Amino acid sequence: MPPIMQTMQPLYKFLVLALLVAGAPACTDVLDRTPQGEYTLDNFFQTEEQAVQSVNAVYNQLRSWETHVFSFIGMTDIVSDDSDKGSTPSDGFFLQEIDQFTYAPTNVAPSTVWAGYYTGIFRANLVIENLPEVPAIDESLRTRLNGEASFLRAYFYFNLVRWFGGVPLLLEPFPTNFEIARASAGEVYAQIESDLQTAISALPASYAAADIGRATSGAAKSMLAKVALTRGNWQRAADLSLEVINSGRYELYPTFSGIFTQEGENSSESIFEVQAAAFEIGGGGSQYNEVQGVRGVPNLGWGFNRPSDDLAASFEAGDPRRDATILYVGEVLPDGSGIVEGDPNIDGERFNQKAFVTDHPGGNGNGPGNIRILRYADLLLIAAEALNELNRQEEALMYLNMVRARARGGANVLPDVTTTDQGELRQAIWRERRSELALEQHRWFDLVRTNRSFEVMKPLRPNFTQNKNELFPIPQTEIDLSEGALEQNPGYN
Amino acid sequence: MKTLLFSFLALLLTAPAAAQVTVDGTVTDGTDPLIGVSVQVPGTGSGTITDLDGRYELTVPAGSDSLSFSYIGFSPQRVAIGGRTTIDIVLGEASEVLQEVVVIGYGIQQKDDLTGAVGVVEAEQLTDIPTQSLGQSLQGKVSGLQIIPGSGAPGADAIFRIRGIGTLNNADPLFVVDGMILNDISFLNPQDVESVSVLKDASATAIYGARGANGVIIITTKQGDGEGQITVNAYAGTQEVVRQIDVLNATQYATLINEADVNAGRQPRFANPEQYGEGTNWQDVIFQQAPIYNAQLSFLGGGEQSSFNLSANYYKQEGIIKGSGYDRFTTRINNTRRVKDWLTVAGNLSLGYNTSDNVPTGSILATAYRADPISVPRDSAGNFSNVSAIGNTGNPLATIEYTNNRSQTYRAVGNAYADVRFLQDFTFRTNFGIDFVYDRNRNFSPVFVVSPSQQNLISDISVSNSYRRNWLWENTLNYAHDFGIHHVDGVAGVTYQDNFGEFISGTRQDLIGEDPSFYYLNSGDVTTATNSNGTSGGNWGLVSYLGRLNYTFDSRYLITVSGRVDGSSRFGDNYRYGFFPSVGLGWNISNEDFWNDGGPVSRLKLRASWGRTGNDRIGDFDYIPRVASGVGAVFGGEPVLLPGATVSSLANPDLRWEETEQTDLGVEVGLFNNQLLFEADVYRKFTSGVLFPAPIPDYIGADPAVRNVAEVLNRGLDLSASWRAGTGTFRYSVGANASFVHNEVVTLDGNTQNRFGGALGVGGQLGTNSQPGTAAGSFFGYEAIGVFQNEEQLGQFAQLNGRQQVGDIIYRDVNGDGVVNAANDRVVLGSAIPDMTLGINGSFSYSGLELSFDVTGQFGNEVINAKQMARFGAYNYEQRWLDRFTGEGSSNVIPRATIGGPNFENLSSLYVEDGSYVRLRNVTLGYRFATALTDRLRMQSLRVYVNGTNLVTSQKYTGYNPEIYNGSVFDNGIDRGDIYPIARTITAGIDVTF
Repeated sequence: MPPIMQTMQPLYKFLVLALLVAGAPACTDVLDRTPQGEYTLDNFFQTEEQAVQSVNAVYNQLRSWETHVFSFIGMTDIVSDDSDKGSTPSDGFFLQEIDQFTYAPTNVAPSTVWAGYYTGIFRANLVIENLPEVPAIDESLRTRLNGEASFLRAYFYFNLVRWFGGVPLLLEPFPTNFEIARASAGEVYAQIESDLQTAISALPASYAAADIGRATSGAAKSMLAKVALTRGNWQRAADLSLEVINSGRYELYPTFSGIFTQEGENSSESIFEVQAAAFEIGGGGSQYNEVQGVRGVPNLGWGFNRPSDDLAASFEAGDPRRDATILYVGEVLPDGSGIVEGDPNIDGERFNQKAFVTDHPGGNGNGPGNIRILRYADLLLIAAEALNELNRQEEALMYLNMVRARARGGANVLPDVTTTDQGELRQAIWRERRSELALEQHRWFDLVRTNRSFEVMKPLRPNFTQNKNELFPIPQTEIDLSEGALEQNPGYN
Repeated sequence: MKTLLFSFLALLLTAPAAAQVTVDGTVTDGTDPLIGVSVQVPGTGSGTITDLDGRYELTVPAGSDSLSFSYIGFSPQRVAIGGRTTIDIVLGEASEVLQEVVVIGYGIQQKDDLTGAVGVVEAEQLTDIPTQSLGQSLQGKVSGLQIIPGSGAPGADAIFRIRGIGTLNNADPLFVVDGMILNDISFLNPQDVESVSVLKDASATAIYGARGANGVIIITTKQGDGEGQITVNAYAGTQEVVRQIDVLNATQYATLINEADVNAGRQPRFANPEQYGEGTNWQDVIFQQAPIYNAQLSFLGGGEQSSFNLSANYYKQEGIIKGSGYDRFTTRINNTRRVKDWLTVAGNLSLGYNTSDNVPTGSILATAYRADPISVPRDSAGNFSNVSAIGNTGNPLATIEYTNNRSQTYRAVGNAYADVRFLQDFTFRTNFGIDFVYDRNRNFSPVFVVSPSQQNLISDISVSNSYRRNWLWENTLNYAHDFGIHHVDGVAGVTYQDNFGEFISGTRQDLIGEDPSFYYLNSGDVTTATNSNGTSGGNWGLVSYLGRLNYTFDSRYLITVSGRVDGSSRFGDNYRYGFFPSVGLGWNISNEDFWNDGGPVSRLKLRASWGRTGNDRIGDFDYIPRVASGVGAVFGGEPVLLPGATVSSLANPDLRWEETEQTDLGVEVGLFNNQLLFEADVYRKFTSGVLFPAPIPDYIGADPAVRNVAEVLNRGLDLSASWRAGTGTFRYSVGANASFVHNEVVTLDGNTQNRFGGALGVGGQLGTNSQPGTAAGSFFGYEAIGVFQNEEQLGQFAQLNGRQQVGDIIYRDVNGDGVVNAANDRVVLGSAIPDMTLGINGSFSYSGLELSFDVTGQFGNEVINAKQMARFGAYNYEQRWLDRFTGEGSSNVIPRATIGGPNFENLSSLYVEDGSYVRLRNVTLGYRFATALTDRLRMQSLRVYVNGTNLVTSQKYTGYNPEIYNGSVFDNGIDRGDIYPIARTITAGIDVTF
């Protein structure tokens, strides 16, 4: 080898390596990546299955802590005369503030449900916006899914408008401007009615066994009846509820206490309930049962939502619903599995028996109990109340007494109501609603709807302020983050 | 032969001139005489060299008052004669100071030529502390580097923070081990490490571009050199918890609970508190004396053509909390071979395997702290007692007993490179590195019943496996050339890195047996099976172009320009590539002609640098709107969980790196022939584009997108000084470093005024607020100004939310509106970020005896003692509750006894404690046997030692350790009682070299 080649040899080697480097741009592939095992919005909403999944995600939010558990119970039952906070004095103190009407706009409860319901609304909006673009989907399924999302969106807004009055009305998932003022309560209700009308025409009256739990046209009609009742639109409430009653699709469950057992789930009386199940592997439960479960021995939960003295005293003599609603210390558990023992850390111990569930896999936090949103007894009383206001007392009495007859369960108690005086009958219906629906998260809305919150709460809770506490405050952080677009409710500034 | 020559030269150079004074003496390196040292009378031309005994004799002309000594490889020294006729001198080795070679990014440099701020720790300083973690051994060693032990759990890693916290997100530095770029170094055995370089300023870190903003730690492992040697190092010792928390004994507890009952309007529950005596100290129940062992065997050697280092290490540490333990086996194979004149190839490979036995130490610690002292761990029959009856806690001993959780990590980290030298001044290197991690964990819960709240009625098992691999391919071209007094060197390169990982896990219930041989999924009921599989540990790629140019003029003026372009898969399409430049300047003033060589200042250098770096730890795909699954719904008469999918977070297509601009001014001073070295750096680090999920109203219904909106400022001062001296066989050195940092959130998103964080573990309460203008993660709560003594004071002072009782804490009504509330009256109560961290280290040797010590400290940080606040039951109290309010005039600090309630549930200054401390981190006393003995034993050296770690700590904090790290800047400094305490460790060891 000539000397020149010898000195050049390293250079050759270098050239080989240099070529290697030059070939390296292929390596820029390392930058081309996509998320693994998940879709992006760009490649989702392409199939029927995906469309269904997106609607399932809206239902999913119904089981969440924010939507139907801790703060929800606080702002429906604990705030009302039906129950006190429960648990130990220091636990969940913000709910004590709810109970005592000492809460401020910074209280955790209003901001929790606010976030929970708007998350549901976002998911529904995502469905409603993207469904039309899904290629190759059965048109009837597309219609149904849109109906389900519309029903759920209406339900979310219905609770929001009842708690807060007018709220920001978001109907699309990605608004360009985040500073959104409150719509009026009337505008929110108009949207609720429109969504429920969409649902009524889009949804089937029932589903095959595998899809039980999805919203039906009957649920949408019943919900719309309740909206009408809330709005004082008696004719509409009566028409819609009678339409549901006359459809013959629903009937009262034979026993009152049976409604709240596992067998009572999705029964003939069920119009809409949030589906939950305690699988061995988890994922299908809710904490609804846990937060209201017996605290101490046996250890079934946290002991919130304690039935109040006022509630216990409100039942008519011998009404079996009292013992079916309230679980006392010393009482045998509904499934006979144990006896409630006293806990010295808890004052005036009592529990919500309607939220009791039997032993189940996955721990207390994996509660299997369906959350009953709307049942036939509620609808009958809606009908009765609307009909009474329309001076159709005979019809009203019929539906009221159907509820009482089931409640008495053959015992010689709860005689039929016979008065046809509109005022007396109104009182009787209201009282019936309380006894029938106690601790099912309706009481506060009933008190406000019927303008009785002041007269009922003031004697029990001196901090109650008229023309203020009927509505909850808009969460302070929301007002701040809206850059002032949101206005606070009266009395909270 | 050599010595003869020196003697001859010495004779030759000794001037037989007429003289007024003759000075003589001996020059040594501390132990041995130095032969041929040049001894001069400055400015006269008069001089000599030392003879073979290190002695000199010199005639000093009239008017001269000093002598200078210089010797290759040693620091020159100049001393005043001061009328003496005999002057003995010890010269210090210069190689440790000025000719020190510093490993920097993609190269090495003489310390003198550096323009950047780089701290260096050498091997001998890294093995003082008995630990498997390199990080733990670095505490207090480098100014500007804060090491937070984090946890005392066996095998725990330390947390590194370089120059404050320049982000609201992940503030970990980047690690580079033998050229391999990594995010964690838990695999490293400290005894394999040759040196650690801490790159602090932008001139040093900009070559790491989008990953340099939090600083860079470069680690070089030991390479063999010289004659082959075998070293054996071993130590064994015992550990115990550094201190215990003072909680109430059973009598005191019963007294206070009775009082709380009465305060709540209940009947007191304990008839006669005295009957319970001392009761149980639950800390004694969970803690133990725990052994620690380590053994290392290394073979090293090398020469012109090759070098090798083969080492093996076994480390075993039991935990001071029963049931926890760790052991690790590591090997290292480092090989270099000069295959041809122009080609060198090398490979470094570390293989390791470790096992951790885990117990839920967080809940065990919290439970031991809370558990009522009346209960006992076991009843008379030896069964675990129900501790929940009174105090509503579990039985921590039962938790330990029934936990079977073991994790194992297998890890291989290595690289191989080829260096091709050509055209004399060029070297091309292609380097391929890989980091492969395989993690396994299995957890088995047997059937047990301790109490209704502590039971497991169906056995269950979970098993998970994950792997992560990270490869790096770097191609760099180096150039270096001296043109007379101009020196130029540079590097340019292209690199690729790719990281991906995946996990798979499953669970089952109702196993067919409880023996470890059944700890497999298949032993469980198949109908209860769950499984999960997805990516983990990062899915990202990086393409980078880097370069650096150094120019030095006459060893006086230095300039470094460097930069890197990083393209990352994590950056949104709109910002896929970022550019990170820097420039550094240096001036070796003491090399100037005008510099007076004779002065006390033997060295003076000024440095200045500016540069821009990034932080790419921003999540892998946060720029794409992703569809989240796992939001299924239940349907059906026979309920079935059907899958659901939705969008849960908004995305930000403009997502990019966080960007830090750093300016640094440094001065390096050597005094008294560099016996005293001093270095100071003042810096300003401004980070913009910090990722922040700028909050949006909840009515939008989805989580906000992260956006590059926040700004964080760190400015500070790093100081370090060292002094080395000695005479004869006594030598010593002491060093100290101190770091001052001011941390401030400049803005969050321009609008947001509050960023709350730091769960206190009390009813969802948060303890920190990172408001603009305050330190990130500042503690935020009420100022406790007293205790309501009587009804009159209830009217006099504002009440929390307008309703408090006598005996409650009085909070300051900051805005004076007559009511104390969360919206208006909370203030900054402190921060977990110390104003100053301190390290002092020293070593002394006399004959064979060696004593070394490290002191570490921090000042100006606070701790939220949040564990005092959580009271979900009748938990035990800390001792200070003995001084509670029991009636007017009793206490104006500690409120009345209650089980829980408003005095506990609101963060106030009552729960904020001073976190300053000074700790004697390490003391080692060793003895190196004389050569007479080692020669007989055919050893090169033999050393035995005893070591004490964390022996003494001076702290005000009442918890175990005020260095509270919870993993997030918003969460640090909050002691929820769940952090594994550090241990006091005593070990004895032996080092042998053959």
